[in-house]
Amino acid sequence: MTAAQKDVVVCKNVWKIFGDRADEAMAAVRAENLSKAEVLDRFGCVVGVRDVSISVGEGEIFCIMGLSGSGKSTLVRHINRLIEPTSGDILINGTNVGDLGPEALREMRADKIGMVFQNMSLLPHRTVRDNIAFSLELRNVDAFTRTQLADKVIDLVSLQGYGDRYPAQLSGGMQQRVGLARAMAADPDILLMDEPFSALDPLIRRGLQDEFLELSRTMKKTTLFITHDLDEAIRMGNRIAIMKDGEIVQIGTPEEIVTEPADQYVSDFVAGISKLKLVFAHTVMQPVAAYETAGKTVPPVADCPTANPEDDLDTLVGLVVDQSNPIVIQDAGQTVGVVTKDALLHAIKGEG
Amino acid sequence: MTTPTETPFAEFAETNGAYYADVFLKIQKSALGRFHINTAALFGSFIWAALRANWTLFLIGFVIDLIALVNLSLYFKYAGAAIENADKEFLVNRYETWAQGHIISALVVFVLGRLLFGWLADRLYVKQYSKWRIDRATPSGFSLSRLGMAGLIVLLIVPLMLYRSSQFAPDERSCIRQDRAIAAGEEVPFKAKFDCFMIGEFPTLIWIDRPDKVTYPRDDNGERTVLRTPAREGAPPVTLSTFVADKIDNGIGYLTVFYGVFFDGITVFLRVMLNAISAVFVGTPWMIAMGVLTFAAYAAAGTRIAVFVGVSLFYLAIFGFWQAAMDTLSLVAAASIICVVAGLPLGIWVGKSERGRAIFTPVLDVMQTIPSFVYLLPAIAFFSIGKPPGILATVIFAMPPMVRLTALGLQQVPETTKEAALAFGANPRQLLTKVELPLAMPSIMAGINQVVMMSLSMVVIAALIGAGGMGYIVTEALENTETGRGILAGAGIALLAMMIDKVVQRASNKT
Repeated sequence: MTAAQKDVVVCKNVWKIFGDRADEAMAAVRAENLSKAEVLDRFGCVVGVRDVSISVGEGEIFCIMGLSGSGKSTLVRHINRLIEPTSGDILINGTNVGDLGPEALREMRADKIGMVFQNMSLLPHRTVRDNIAFSLELRNVDAFTRTQLADKVIDLVSLQGYGDRYPAQLSGGMQQRVGLARAMAADPDILLMDEPFSALDPLIRRGLQDEFLELSRTMKKTTLFITHDLDEAIRMGNRIAIMKDGEIVQIGTPEEIVTEPADQYVSDFVAGISKLKLVFAHTVMQPVAAYETAGKTVPPVADCPTANPEDDLDTLVGLVVDQSNPIVIQDAGQTVGVVTKDALLHAIKGEG
Repeated sequence: MTTPTETPFAEFAETNGAYYADVFLKIQKSALGRFHINTAALFGSFIWAALRANWTLFLIGFVIDLIALVNLSLYFKYAGAAIENADKEFLVNRYETWAQGHIISALVVFVLGRLLFGWLADRLYVKQYSKWRIDRATPSGFSLSRLGMAGLIVLLIVPLMLYRSSQFAPDERSCIRQDRAIAAGEEVPFKAKFDCFMIGEFPTLIWIDRPDKVTYPRDDNGERTVLRTPAREGAPPVTLSTFVADKIDNGIGYLTVFYGVFFDGITVFLRVMLNAISAVFVGTPWMIAMGVLTFAAYAAAGTRIAVFVGVSLFYLAIFGFWQAAMDTLSLVAAASIICVVAGLPLGIWVGKSERGRAIFTPVLDVMQTIPSFVYLLPAIAFFSIGKPPGILATVIFAMPPMVRLTALGLQQVPETTKEAALAFGANPRQLLTKVELPLAMPSIMAGINQVVMMSLSMVVIAALIGAGGMGYIVTEALENTETGRGILAGAGIALLAMMIDKVVQRASNKT
């Protein structure tokens, strides 16, 4: 996916240093380029986010992946200014979030940005419907409109009939649907999802992931999705940013991350990932010329299985079974390359 | 010599290792005899403990022996005194009874104490072993060098204790007289001085000149003035306590004379409020009040409690406590309302602000530790006697739980829930009213329950300063030794308390 549309969320050189002497530490880091450990040692301050610049396009699902303590939750809280950056700017639709006054900030939080939390953080004393309508209530929307809007969102996340229950009466998966519905009730442009499915068991997680993908395809919300699970990031993300110690190590599409890891850290991560659905024929094929220089000839096309450059490895494996001839890749009727069984096996293993 | 399992025990105990290895193993297997006694400890007592460097046991053994020794010494003192005063029969009788008491105490404490010590010895010694297993720096083994330390402690404590118990202590008054005599230059024997300093009341170290007497007469224009009269020439000095107490009296006198309007204002406010409330309770015919209260209990807390309330009210009525009980209820209601109205915002402040917490935590600590009787004194000083000062003392006494539990409830609201509310654009007021207070409600309700219960107990005590109600009947019964009436009124108060507690608790659980 190319993010050629206009950028909805832009972070420019965002730094966050936690601690009483954050400003001092910031100056020192600028001057001497200190490491995280050195800052902790000299100033007793923790570097949460280190010089992060990202831009997220309209309708894009942008995953931020990293282990606990990598700064991903901290980064995302800068976007609705739950955390103030030590340095750097955050722009939403071109507006600098840092310049907003308290009332404008609250307005933006209520109207533009919905947030989903790992632990749901629902209000136990309110019914599901009142939880979902919470952001509307904060904007003083009248009770009738509130209920109407909330019921619409309840349908959207398939919670029909649960509107008058209390959160404690719902299972974890359903509670997170409420969380999602609450985030979408005010119809915001941006969704911030802070490990929304991490606390759920695998089957329910998968179901919710699918539902969310479906929803986001229809609703076209710009989404920042935080996860510590690379599988989830690859499933959900149009693009993925991998964070480590507050820094972004690599940004790219799932295929780029898997096939061209930027460093050892990322390649360790992707080592265990199945490439079948992520790598495509155009990446693994050998051009005909190169194939023939190696002293082999391409059998007649009629005897070979054929595929498109955009087919993934999974499809290629299906074609090559019980075949002795290599796969011929054709683009618009032209033979553009060849994939041998060996090349395919290497690609699945993640070599070459 | 020892098996591998016994080796660490023996290594720890050093001398007599095999015995301790055996005992410790039995303790670990829970196989030690119920009446197992360490003979060495039984006879050696604190000396044994010192040798083994177990200072807990040393303290226990030493205190047991010291109590026995002091009692023995007291026996000799009183037996001697009985012989000295052989001509006065009543003194002989008294001293002999005391002497007998002390010799019995000495023997019982010594025998039972030593047995207890012998029984405890191995059971506590094994704990020292456990500590030693974790930290090898823990003293272990058996060493004569520790006797020096033990001897020093014994030498510091025993002689003075024995001296104190074998001598008749001088009373405070004779010591003060002696101080004055010394100041006047008289010779006093060393023993008398020593006795006054060491074995009587804590010696009066500070003498201060008598402070000026302060009065506030009116001048010719009818304005109050401050008049200081110096103490008369040659008046004896006073103690620190008298001096400071005098100063406090002067301060209170000054405030009441010159800022009386302020205190009168509070009194008027309280009286108006109380009148309004007691118009409901006292001013309503008993039949209606009883019915309404029972129905209110039913609505708030259900049938069973309503029956209990009905029966309790009937008890109060039939024994002639109706008016008094309604009086008490009015006082409780007035005090509780003030506590909640003032305590809730204070609690919010304490719960949400670092500074509020810093200021109020020590204040609340003091308010809760001061005995309830003490609150009556400033109430009288500033507001004289009657119902308003009674309510005021009650409010001070009953407010802390409201503040504390409100603050606690707010602090227990999860950070993440608050963050979520902020993320959806809540402003501070919305955060408080829509998230924090609702989530803190159970804690706040517990606070209200506490306030009501504490108000009731204080309102009863406030009868001492004329607050009236059920407490007045009890104090009256105390003064006239009308035991029966006192018991009936006491039971009535207990019923009132249970009634209020049950209703408030049920009602608060419902929300």
